[in-house]
Amino acid sequence: MAYESLFRPTDRREFLRRGAALLTIGATPALLAACGGSSNSGSAAAPKASGNIDYLSWEGYDIPPVMKAWKAANSVTVKPTYIGNHDEIQAKIKAGGGSYDLITYYQGYKPLYTELDILTKLDTDKIPNIEGLFSVFKEADARNLWIDEDGNWTGVPWTWGSIGITWDDAKLPGGLTAWDDLLDPKLKGKVGVINDPLGAFTLTAHILGKDPAALPKAEYSEIKDYLTKMVGQAKSVAPSFGDMTNQLVAGDIVACYQGWAYMNSLAAGAGNKTVKTVTPKEGAFSFCDLYAIPSTSDNVETVHGWINEAIDPVINARAAEYLVGAVTVEKSAEMLNADTKALYPYDDLDLGDSTGDRLKKLFEVAPFYGMPPSESDEFITFTEMSENWEEIKQGA
Amino acid sequence: MTAVEQSSRTPAREGSRFHVGPAALAIPAALWMVVFFAAPLLLFFVYSFLTARLYAVSGPLTLEAYRDALTTHINATLALNSLVVGISVAATTVVVALPIAYWLRFAAGRWETVVLFLITATFFASYLVRIYAWRSILGDNGLLNSGLKSLGILDQPLGFVLYNRFAVTVALVHIFLPYVVLVLYAGFRPISPALVEASQDLGANAVTRWRKVILPLVAAPAATSFVLVFVLAAADYVTPQFLGGTDGAMLGVRIQTALTGAGNWPLGAALSFLMLATFVACYALTLLLLRSLRLDRVRFVS
Repeated sequence: MAYESLFRPTDRREFLRRGAALLTIGATPALLAACGGSSNSGSAAAPKASGNIDYLSWEGYDIPPVMKAWKAANSVTVKPTYIGNHDEIQAKIKAGGGSYDLITYYQGYKPLYTELDILTKLDTDKIPNIEGLFSVFKEADARNLWIDEDGNWTGVPWTWGSIGITWDDAKLPGGLTAWDDLLDPKLKGKVGVINDPLGAFTLTAHILGKDPAALPKAEYSEIKDYLTKMVGQAKSVAPSFGDMTNQLVAGDIVACYQGWAYMNSLAAGAGNKTVKTVTPKEGAFSFCDLYAIPSTSDNVETVHGWINEAIDPVINARAAEYLVGAVTVEKSAEMLNADTKALYPYDDLDLGDSTGDRLKKLFEVAPFYGMPPSESDEFITFTEMSENWEEIKQGA
Repeated sequence: MTAVEQSSRTPAREGSRFHVGPAALAIPAALWMVVFFAAPLLLFFVYSFLTARLYAVSGPLTLEAYRDALTTHINATLALNSLVVGISVAATTVVVALPIAYWLRFAAGRWETVVLFLITATFFASYLVRIYAWRSILGDNGLLNSGLKSLGILDQPLGFVLYNRFAVTVALVHIFLPYVVLVLYAGFRPISPALVEASQDLGANAVTRWRKVILPLVAAPAATSFVLVFVLAAADYVTPQFLGGTDGAMLGVRIQTALTGAGNWPLGAALSFLMLATFVACYALTLLLLRSLRLDRVRFVS
């Protein structure tokens, strides 16, 4: 997903603050072990790891302080290549010249990455911690976005989130309950929009009751009209979530189309504790980020070890705190600090059998979607969606 | 005879020492440029004539990418934005920098070094920090609006100073001004104060001195600065995203989208080369203008 803002320079101070705090944790493997974490992966089935991992994804998704102990224990080094937007992953891999071992992908990119032959089949025997995932992440009906119909996994979900309306309650008391509320003329020039064509397209399709992965070309005009009106409510299109949060904190905008609970935390870090996020009555969409091994990897064994460690209950909880995100491991929900836990409705869950059910309901309101096909005579394609976005921005 | 000429001729006359001429010294740099600049550029140029596939290219050769680039309405709009911003920024920067550089060369006295240091020091602030600084100045609750409101001049913030081409122009002028001041200062350095004094003694007033003596002598560096800033400003795609608003996007954003988001490499390459061709044409026009005004071969005699 194009949640590129996470670790842009504007957020770096907050990023480093969290990182520094977690360095302590990363440096104390004994503590992790005492808390029940594997940290190395004491599981007999976990693969033997060593050597270098060439990492290609967002800055922060390599969770350096969280994985520090595992890397030290296994003599693993990570050589990161950070991206500015999700599309750089496929662009760099297809351009050649790099032997990337570990990538992440937003679930919507699965069809594209399959077509581009980027993803490889994971050996789940080497990732025993998969058993600890919430049941909803282990079911193959997740639109076939990380588990193929034949049961093969191409990615392991390790963090997720849901989109919603984010607003400053001090300037807009009570907030908004529907996406259409953002089109109120009173909010002209005060709505935040982010430069994320896929997210904007997916959200608008959801609001209008359409499937973004299979939108007939004839129906695209409805998406375009809605988005044009929404962008017309904005003074600018923010290049990142961090930047949109800055606009919110500065008072340039009061509410955001395609907001995110993570923005609450960013705003609080900047001194504004009145920023809130809600899932509107029409629902929204969720995103899931997955660790995957690209076809360019030459250290598959070690990357399996990395992925297994990343979904260890303690590590997954610490990673969620580090990234201000959500956990995919059931036991991790019990280990989160209060702030991170409050971002998503863990407190409403009955941990145990009902936990998966509850998440299922959440994902029914805010589902995981695929992305438009790369080629189609019938449906809007990924390229058409990307190229139309510039026209929508200009036409607003 | 220059020091370089002396050092290159002496060994040849002696005939007993290894001779390394200026051309040989340039070989490493030339090789670097060929391998890491010219060759990739050539490959990229070939891409612009290939058939687009998703994040890939294939035969046959075609002009389809150029046809797309030239006939899509949005490209014309973005190109116009780039042109307007590029010219505005370049013209403003050169006009503002000229008197500063003149003052530094002829009037700053003991302040010259201090001010030059301060100008250089601005490079220590990152590009993004400077962009955000302007947002905090021009925003609805920024320094400008807050100041005017506290003085009772405004009730409502000035909404037109941020998220448009004006804000982009202001920020880019601020970013490029130090570079141009230094280039023009270097252009003023060879000009002896005696020349200015002589024109003054001959009865030229300030306007005449600038028009007939100073400007012709710094026309070449001023024109070079103009082209340099024009290219950098017109090709910028970061500042417009932060300060430009919904209609402030420029062609660079479109190229980025084609290459990464849409995976259409031929289109990205075609747009890049069309932009490059425009820049080369601007540079050629500038040279022609200088030549037609006989300002391209100004030589200083010490």
